[in-house]
Amino acid sequence: MDSEPSEMFEVAEACVRCRCGCCKDECPMYSEIVEESISPKGRNILIRAIGKGVVQPDERAVRIAYSCLLCKRDEFSCSAHLKNAEATEAFREYLISKGVPMLPEHEPLVRSLENYGNPWQESKSARKRWAKGLKVSAALPGRTEVLFYVGCTFALDRSLHETPKALARLMDLAGESYGVLLEDELCCGSTAKRIGQRKLFESLMKENEARIRRTGAKRVVTACSGCYKTLKQDYPRLDKDVRVVHSTEYLAELVDSKRISFSSLPHKVTYHDPCHLGRHAEVYDAPRRLLRAIPDVEIVEMRNSRERSRCCGGGAGVKTAYPEISQAAAKRRVKEAEQTGAGMLVTACPFCVQTLRAAAEAAGSKVEVVELTILLDKLAKRGGAAA
Amino acid sequence: MMDAKSRAEVKEQLVKALGESKVLHEKADLLPYTKDTYRIPLEDEYRYLPDFVVLPETTPEVQSVVRIAAEHRIPLIPKGGGSNRTGMLVPILGGIVVDTIRMNKVVEVNLPNLYVTVQPGITLKELDQYLEPYGLWLTQEQGSFKVATIGGSISTSGFSRRHQKYGSISDRVMSLEVVLASGEVLRTGQKVLYTSTGYRLHQLFIAAEGTLGIITEATLRVEPLPEARDIILAFFKDFWAANDAAQRLMTSGVTFSGGEAYEGHGMDKLGAPQGMKGMFYVLLDGTKGEVAAQKDFVVSLIAESGGVLASSDVAMSFMTIYTEQWCGARAITGLEDVLTTYIPMERMREFYDKMWNQVAPKYGIEPLPGEKYSLDVGRYRMAGGRYRLPKGEGAWQKYQQVLREIARLATSMGGSIQSCHGIGIEHRDNMDLEYSKAALDAMRSIKRVFDPDNIMNPGKKLPER
Repeated sequence: MDSEPSEMFEVAEACVRCRCGCCKDECPMYSEIVEESISPKGRNILIRAIGKGVVQPDERAVRIAYSCLLCKRDEFSCSAHLKNAEATEAFREYLISKGVPMLPEHEPLVRSLENYGNPWQESKSARKRWAKGLKVSAALPGRTEVLFYVGCTFALDRSLHETPKALARLMDLAGESYGVLLEDELCCGSTAKRIGQRKLFESLMKENEARIRRTGAKRVVTACSGCYKTLKQDYPRLDKDVRVVHSTEYLAELVDSKRISFSSLPHKVTYHDPCHLGRHAEVYDAPRRLLRAIPDVEIVEMRNSRERSRCCGGGAGVKTAYPEISQAAAKRRVKEAEQTGAGMLVTACPFCVQTLRAAAEAAGSKVEVVELTILLDKLAKRGGAAA
Repeated sequence: MMDAKSRAEVKEQLVKALGESKVLHEKADLLPYTKDTYRIPLEDEYRYLPDFVVLPETTPEVQSVVRIAAEHRIPLIPKGGGSNRTGMLVPILGGIVVDTIRMNKVVEVNLPNLYVTVQPGITLKELDQYLEPYGLWLTQEQGSFKVATIGGSISTSGFSRRHQKYGSISDRVMSLEVVLASGEVLRTGQKVLYTSTGYRLHQLFIAAEGTLGIITEATLRVEPLPEARDIILAFFKDFWAANDAAQRLMTSGVTFSGGEAYEGHGMDKLGAPQGMKGMFYVLLDGTKGEVAAQKDFVVSLIAESGGVLASSDVAMSFMTIYTEQWCGARAITGLEDVLTTYIPMERMREFYDKMWNQVAPKYGIEPLPGEKYSLDVGRYRMAGGRYRLPKGEGAWQKYQQVLREIARLATSMGGSIQSCHGIGIEHRDNMDLEYSKAALDAMRSIKRVFDPDNIMNPGKKLPER
């Protein structure tokens, strides 16, 4: 997944040969800001000009570099399928490597990652809070086949604790044996990587990978789409030895093997594909298979779904740096959900849940934003569905 | 270009009129405006930076910008989606790019009279999405559908691949609001489709490329969404066999929305029998009964013409890909240009023969695979094609000679240099081949009436005397 400066310049060069601007179509950042420079095309033009020394990487250039959600939506608008998100991530790394100061809004994230091993300025011991009241087993070498990797946001945002609890309960219900790292869990480094802090990412990756490997687990399960994408794609060796699976894939297997089933939900629901799970990792079917396993549920797709899904606005450091734009993008997505007539907007990523829920509340929307694991946990029964 | 003092003065005035957030002046923000998708010599690629870019949201804001430019006699370059192919948007004399992309609101949907009034910066795709819940559509479908704006389409006389049934954008304009070089607002007429009162002023702004004023609002005829749609795709032994079928279709009297015949590429992937090298698709829209009857007719015609039908699934997915994939070849194949000449049908074969057998080898250009022939099927005799630009020493001069030869070929056959895309700077100096001195002088006189100080996109479209 790593894109070297040479690849970044190649993408920029190819884009500049064309300059069509198709990437602006449905680009969540361009839709809100509506400036040519705030689009994959605009950024590629800038990358090339910086490479040729035509402009200096000044403050404005840095703002442009960080006005991207790395959502990859543009790749499906671009006929040449240029790897613009990779180029933008590499551009951020390039700017940092040239000594260009990071965005001041990102400094607290970076300091927190350096000091606490999570981006949210929470102590290391806070990481086990989510498991209070549950009987979970600490991951131990030789005894843990499946490692449940919770991730910083699910573990540290109290409003999201129900998801790891729900996943733990579902695994218990299915009789699965798994271990957790609790306070020994470390950030996967996704935030650091997305905002161009490559050295910080590499140090987090090295330590985190060592801790995961030390458990001897054969599989790592996570409900966080960001952690999933990072562990699977940005850790070059981990997935070769330890299978990294998203909770939706994992639970879909449990449903297929008739270890769990669900009771009826006569509701109309729509599903939002998180960028990290969908476009980045191409997991589109597992969450839909799970929804379809719920009797009587009606699934309706939004105008933009699967590979064409619009980003919630919560990714790649944008929410921290530009909260208003992030929320405007999220409101647009909530509106798409409303247009389907669904009462529930289901998704499978902590950032999407946070961002979409806040936007739905701010917009006074009747659509309820629901995290998929929680929904499944409420309806779950042991064993297969009755024929 | 402006000196530092007047630049500072203009900046202050622009910011006062529009506010900081609508005036771009930092180099990183100006870079995307140095050119559109037209080729300019490599040594000039960063030469044409505009002095400012403004992002107005209302007609009064456009008026303020125009008045400031008029006071300082600074060029104004109106911009839509930015995908123009002819250099129409290149700020060759510096100045202010008036980027209309934030003027993207729908002002009115008038259902009983089947029209819509919009700001110019809305894209064709956004407008159709907006109209869908009303059961309406604009009918304008073309490669740059996702990017092209209403203002840009009108200003370049944009193409629609469904023109046979629904016409192109020039047939849909009912009334325009334009800010003239004086800052005054011109309304070209009432929002009516049929009138015999005044001169048809709105027609002057179609393909005017921003040289007469800045379009700030457009009223356009829209249509009810068809009950049924279909696409028929067929393979032929070569392009000319596909073209023969297309011409039989044209003279058959059957109603169809549009189509295209071309030299296929990678057709085996679409299930074409071996050795088939030509393709032809036909688009149908209407009621279920109409479309079914039209389909039966077209299918028989194809069979009688020696064509082999593609399956419906292949045809549908072909159209989806074709609609979505427009320009990307440029990113992969490198420097290329397109033919969008209008050639009378009886000279079509001669045109292509001369183009590829005489002009191409002379200047070292070659067609891209599968893009040697692409002929619009419908009333428009748009002869398309795509070619790699000359390489090596003197490449730029050779390219200019190729453009001149294409213009000479098209006009000598009674055709037009560009059916769509406009002229920009690409063919500006070839306009003398298509128009007489009297015609060009008349155009210059019209420009002077609207823009006496020549601040509206100067140096574009009309050759210097």
